[in-house]
Amino acid sequence: MGSIKIFTKAKCPKCPAVKEIGAKLKKEGVPVLNYDLDTIDGLAEASFYSILSTPSLVIEDEEEREVISWRGVVPTLQEVKAYL
Amino acid sequence: MATIIDMKGNQQELFKHAVETTDMALFVRTSDEAMLGWDRQRIVDALTRETYVDFDTAKEIAREVEDLIATSKIKMITAPLIRELVDTKLVERGLEQARKMHTRLGMPLYDVDQLILHPNKENANVPHGPEATNLTLAETIKKEYALLSVFSQEIADAHMRGDIHLHDLGFIDRPYCSGQSLEYIKRFGLSLPNSIAMAKPARHPEVLLAHMVKFAAALQSHFAGAIGWDSINLFFAPYLVGMSDRELEQLAQMMIFEFSQQAVARGGQAIFTDLNLYWEIPKHFENVPAIGPGGEFTGKTYHDYLKESQRFAEALFNVFQEGDGSGRPFFFPKPLVHITEKFFQTPGHMDFLCHICDVSSEKGNTYFVFDRGETAKISECCRLSFKLDQTDLEDAKQPWKMRYCALQNVTLNLPRIAYLARGEDAKLFSKISEYVELAVKAHLEKKLFIEKLLSLGEKGPLALLAMDRDGSPYLRMHRASFLVGMVGLNELVQIHTGQEMHQSKQAFKFGLKVIAHMKLLVDKFSQRHGMRFVLEQTPAESTAYRFAKLDLKFHSPQSGHIVKGDISKAEVYYTNSTYLNNSAVLNPIERVRQEGLFHPLIEAGALTHIWLGEARPSKSSLANFVTKTFQLTQNDQIAFSPEFTTCNRCNRTIRGLRSSCVYCGSEDVDGITRITGYFTKISSWNKGKIGELRNRYRNQTFLREKEEGIALDVG
Repeated sequence: MGSIKIFTKAKCPKCPAVKEIGAKLKKEGVPVLNYDLDTIDGLAEASFYSILSTPSLVIEDEEEREVISWRGVVPTLQEVKAYL
Repeated sequence: MATIIDMKGNQQELFKHAVETTDMALFVRTSDEAMLGWDRQRIVDALTRETYVDFDTAKEIAREVEDLIATSKIKMITAPLIRELVDTKLVERGLEQARKMHTRLGMPLYDVDQLILHPNKENANVPHGPEATNLTLAETIKKEYALLSVFSQEIADAHMRGDIHLHDLGFIDRPYCSGQSLEYIKRFGLSLPNSIAMAKPARHPEVLLAHMVKFAAALQSHFAGAIGWDSINLFFAPYLVGMSDRELEQLAQMMIFEFSQQAVARGGQAIFTDLNLYWEIPKHFENVPAIGPGGEFTGKTYHDYLKESQRFAEALFNVFQEGDGSGRPFFFPKPLVHITEKFFQTPGHMDFLCHICDVSSEKGNTYFVFDRGETAKISECCRLSFKLDQTDLEDAKQPWKMRYCALQNVTLNLPRIAYLARGEDAKLFSKISEYVELAVKAHLEKKLFIEKLLSLGEKGPLALLAMDRDGSPYLRMHRASFLVGMVGLNELVQIHTGQEMHQSKQAFKFGLKVIAHMKLLVDKFSQRHGMRFVLEQTPAESTAYRFAKLDLKFHSPQSGHIVKGDISKAEVYYTNSTYLNNSAVLNPIERVRQEGLFHPLIEAGALTHIWLGEARPSKSSLANFVTKTFQLTQNDQIAFSPEFTTCNRCNRTIRGLRSSCVYCGSEDVDGITRITGYFTKISSWNKGKIGELRNRYRNQTFLREKEEGIALDVG
């Protein structure tokens, strides 16, 4: 299984919703990595994936290739699970 | 003002025994060539006027210096020598600050001799001649002045060591570069402070062009760098109604030749001019009332001038395609075409795109600026751009208000940080913070200085920038940007991780981390100081060379393995800004994509070069490349750079860099290609840039294969 990368910022009204999805998936054993764009690592990783808006969620395969992403929008838990 | 003191004939003896200085037959030759007698009091006066030394100490020093001269056997005493003698007395007394304040600025005779004889290669846009010599002499003194008097010791030392580079120190009393609106001269005419005549707003396109050229020349003497013009084809449009194709082309030709042959302006330099062009009517100008002949509103909005605007853009590119009288590409003005979502929705865009790509392949002039989403920006200098925010879009309703500037550019020597960090992450990031803070401090110091000059208003040295015709000074300080540039990210990563950025994903990501750190820092400082600190890809025409040379001196032997170029020929450099290694064999779309990942972090502007060498790709394949770059990458700006050889004997120009002319066999030839953000003759390049030119990976094979359908298609 690949992994999920979640990109958020502190002052972003829709971000908690995506964080919640991340937390649920993590509980189910899905590898989830959270990146805060106000930090160096978060901004660097976001730049690598050309993330220009938050929240964003990227699903990758085992070889770190992007499978699908939601940028600046909040997907439903079911939508995300459909690609796992 | 004294320059030379001549000791007449045998009177040195007399001087030796003199009690009163007025008896000494020493004469001071002043700048107006009058002869003044020696007077010890002049030393006292200078010390009390220029420093904080008390009167008694000044008198004591003057007497000691006089004694020293009297007992020496010097036949001719120069004013600089007297000043140095006084300085030694200040040093002996531990009066360091006074010595600094008493410094004489100037150049050694030998240096001036060299300068008059040999060209200056710090900026390839400065030709060699008396005007250029004047410029360099003035710049040398102003540089010293800046380092001694404008900047603190800490900043000056950091510059001298090569930790940072303060750009255009020779132009310390001017802002760095600017973005202009033609609407200003359309509305207010040409009424410049200190000018002996005032011109009302132009009624004819040729007159408007003349005003633009004169205003550009006036601006060139008030800014160090580029003068960019926003939406130039659109703002000319109301003057072009009813003109035939031939008349339009004539006007386009006049505009390009006027700006390309301005080598009679400051220091013999052509005005570094950027023309921003749009195929569509930019969204923020659609409903703006148009200004036409005589500075009057035409009763229409710019939306109604699409046809004239497009026809003028086409005419300009027809001229660029032809090149100058000998078929060479025009070095200036630079055409920057904005590619936007609306561009692709505007009828005729494909034909226009093919046209400008044809020019790009043939002559290399076109810069493709990508404004994605709602972004709107004006591009200046080599790659500098000003992104327009909500306030600017409000200003767009009165476009003459859209005047922007960058006050200064300070570049960080990134490889040096890595040498100092010795592989420790924490040390590396803390050193980066330290250097960014230095840059911020340098900006605060320059801002203070410029504000002092501006406060003298229209009677002061920056009268043009202080002039007020629309309720605010011409230079809008509250909209100024303060640039923080970088050189050698690739080498920083190489030193710190052991790999260059194109060699592994990890190394590349580390590069992103460094720039992300810098971006967060400048944002923090912007908030703290209420100023606009932004990252920029410094063109670094000579800085990449200077830093490499200094690091070879201070960080040898490690730096010897890191700097790029040929050490044996002293052609050394660091990879510019956030670029990947120039010699890395990457297909162009991959380079554009990867380098583009840095661009959203570099708010003030970034560019990727695609070196074409001798290749001449078809217009349709370049158009496809440009479209894909817009759609699939985050890259801010691209330019394709072909190479040429021009013969100084038969005046013909051929493709590629050659040692002799293929037509007449003459070896008196010049190579021409893009040095950084502009074209110029290679003979004027500094050694570092020559080293880079040798290493540039030309995409010839890839482009040829792509034409033949062998290479992988993009997207």
